Amino acid sequence: MSKRILIDTDPGIDDALAILLALASPEVTMEGITTIHGNCSVDQATINALSILELAEAKEVPVAMGFPLPLVQPSLLAAETHGDTGLGYAKLPEPRGRPEVRHGSDFLIEKIMSNPGEITLVAIGPLTNVAFAIRKEPRIVEAVREVIVMGGAIRYPGNASPLAEYNVFVDPHAAHMVYHSGIPITLVPLDVTYQCILTPDDVKRLQKNPSRISRFIDDSTRFYMEFHDEYQQIHGCAINDPLALALTFAPELCDYQELYVDVDISGGISMGKTFADFHGLAKKRPNMKVALSVRARDFMELFLERMELLARSVGVFAKHS
Amino acid sequence: MTPTRIIIDTDPGVDDALAVLLALASPEIQLEALTTTQGNVTVEKATRNILSVLELAHASYIPVAQGSMFPLVQPLRASDSVHGASGIGNSKLPEPRSKPVPQHAVDYLIERVLAEPNQITIFPIGPLTNIAMAIRKAPGFAKAVKEFVIMGGAIHEGGNATPLAEFNIFVDPHAAHIVFHSGIPITLIPLDATHKCLLEQEHVDRLLKIKSPVSQFISEAVEVYLKSSLERGYAGSALHDPLTLATIIAPELLSLKEYYLDVDISGGVSMGKTFADFYHMTQKPANMKVALDVRAEDFIELFLQRMERLSQSIPD
Repeated sequence: MSKRILIDTDPGIDDALAILLALASPEVTMEGITTIHGNCSVDQATINALSILELAEAKEVPVAMGFPLPLVQPSLLAAETHGDTGLGYAKLPEPRGRPEVRHGSDFLIEKIMSNPGEITLVAIGPLTNVAFAIRKEPRIVEAVREVIVMGGAIRYPGNASPLAEYNVFVDPHAAHMVYHSGIPITLVPLDVTYQCILTPDDVKRLQKNPSRISRFIDDSTRFYMEFHDEYQQIHGCAINDPLALALTFAPELCDYQELYVDVDISGGISMGKTFADFHGLAKKRPNMKVALSVRARDFMELFLERMELLARSVGVFAKHS
Repeated sequence: MTPTRIIIDTDPGVDDALAVLLALASPEIQLEALTTTQGNVTVEKATRNILSVLELAHASYIPVAQGSMFPLVQPLRASDSVHGASGIGNSKLPEPRSKPVPQHAVDYLIERVLAEPNQITIFPIGPLTNIAMAIRKAPGFAKAVKEFVIMGGAIHEGGNATPLAEFNIFVDPHAAHIVFHSGIPITLIPLDATHKCLLEQEHVDRLLKIKSPVSQFISEAVEVYLKSSLERGYAGSALHDPLTLATIIAPELLSLKEYYLDVDISGGVSMGKTFADFYHMTQKPANMKVALDVRAEDFIELFLQRMERLSQSIPD
C-alpha cells in the first residue's frame, strides 16, 4: 500500500527535486505541500511549489502557505545558493493554481489529526511550521506516523556556519522544539546527504529523455553546481532533500543509529549546531533515529531512474488544461 | 467617554483573577474576551479558573478561548507554591458551567484583532506564548493591535523566578523576545512598579465587611499568596496584574518612560532577564514605555473601592 505523505518545504532547488521524486514514486501518495521561508521567501516558496506541481501535471496536490519568518531569529534568505527565485536558472511559468486558504501549520494539524497513524511528514526546510503545529496541537506528536527531517550536521561540518546546517541554522529554536517534542523523528543530516552528489554527467544522462522535467533539472541544478564549485569545491551538487524523501519508501538506503540529539540555541558561535550524544554522557533517552551512512550510488541510481520515468511521462511541452 | 476595549491574556493565578475582577468593576473598561495560557498553572486549570471567576462575577457572557499548553522553547513550569494547587489560592469556586469557545486562543486573538484594526488593546498578564504565536502566524496582527500592556519583567528590581528574571518572562523568554521586537506599541508594567502595590491583611478585612461571594473569594484566594509573600519579606501580596489596568483607569498614578528593552534568551544564568538601555549604548530606538514607579497607596485605595463596589453589586 502506498504511503501517505506531506512535504513541508522551502523550494529551493533540491526541494523541487524532492517534490518531483515524490510525484515519480508509486510507493507514496502526496497529500499536500506546506511551504516555509528558508531558501527563499515563503511567498516565493509557495509560487515555486505550485509551479513545480503544474510542471509535473500534479496540480491536484494542495499547497498551504506557512510562516514567513523564523520564530525568534531574524530572517536569513539564501539567494546565493538557490538564486533569486529559489530555483536557480530555471524559469517556470506563473502558476495558475492558488494556495489553500488555511495556514500551513493548520493544514498540517488537520491532515495529521484526521488520519491518525497514517501520515508521514517529510520536513525538508526550516522547522517553523512543524514546531508551531506541535505547540498549537500537541496531539499530533502521537497521531503522526513518522517525521523525516532533512537537517543537521552531526559529524559533518555545517553549510550555513562552520558548525551549523542551513535548515537548523535558520530556525534553531523551532528545531529545538521539534527534537524535544517526543514526535517520532528520522533525521537525515549532511553526513548522508553530502554523499549523494548529482554530477554534470548525471544531468547529461537525463537530457537523453527530452522533457520539461529534464530541462528544469538542468536549469535549476546548473546554478546550484556553480555554487557548490565556488564555495565547497564539490563537482556537482548535493541533493539533500530527495534523499530524505526516498527514505519514506526505501529506508534500507541508509544505516541508522538511535541517538539523543540536541541543538545549540544559546546564541554563541555554535548557534544551530546539532550534536548527538554518542556516549550517553547526557544520560537521556534517544529522541530520534539518525541516518549516519548511505548507499549513495544506489540512491543516485534510484533518483535518476525515477526522473527518467517522470520525464518520459510528462513530455516536452506543457499540456494546456 | 467610550470605554477602552480590551482582551486579557491570562494564566489565573491569584492576581490574574483580581485583574479580571478589577476590569469588570471598571466602567472605563469594556472587557471583550479572555484568552488563557500556561504559567501560574496549566492552561486547562487557567481556563477552568477564569470561567469560574466570570461566573462568580455574573459575567459568563464574556468569551474565553484556551491557548497554548506549553511555552515555545522552554519546558513547562507551574508554580503551585505561590498560587495554590488550583491556581487561585484556597478559594473553592464551583466547577464552571460555561465552556470556552472552540477556537484556539491564537486564532481567536488574530480574528478579533484583524476584524477591528486598532480598536483592541491586549493585556497579556501571563507568559507571552499566545501573543508571540499570533504575531508570527498572522503578519498583519502586530500592526492591527492598538497597544499591548504587559505585566512582566524586572528592570532595577530583582527577579521573582530567578535572582534576575521575572516569572512571566522567565516561563517563555523566547515569546517575550518575539513580542518585544514586534514593533507593536507596548507599555510594560514590571516588578519595579508592581512590588510597590501590596494588598495587606487589613485591606482584605476591610473588603470582608461587605458580605458577598466576591469579597469572600478575594479573601480565600489571597490567603496562600499573602502567606508566601510575608515569608518572602513583603508586607502584603503584590497586585502585579491589576496594576496593568491603571494604564486605563488611573494613568496619572504611573511614571512611564520610553526605553529600548531586551530580554536575554542565551540560556545562561541571566535567562529571561529583562534590561533597559538607559544610556543608549545599543543605539536602538525605544521599543516600549516602562513603568518604573507608581503611586502605590493611591492605586491600592482605588482597587479596594472598585472591589467594594463590585461586592455590593453581588450580595450573598
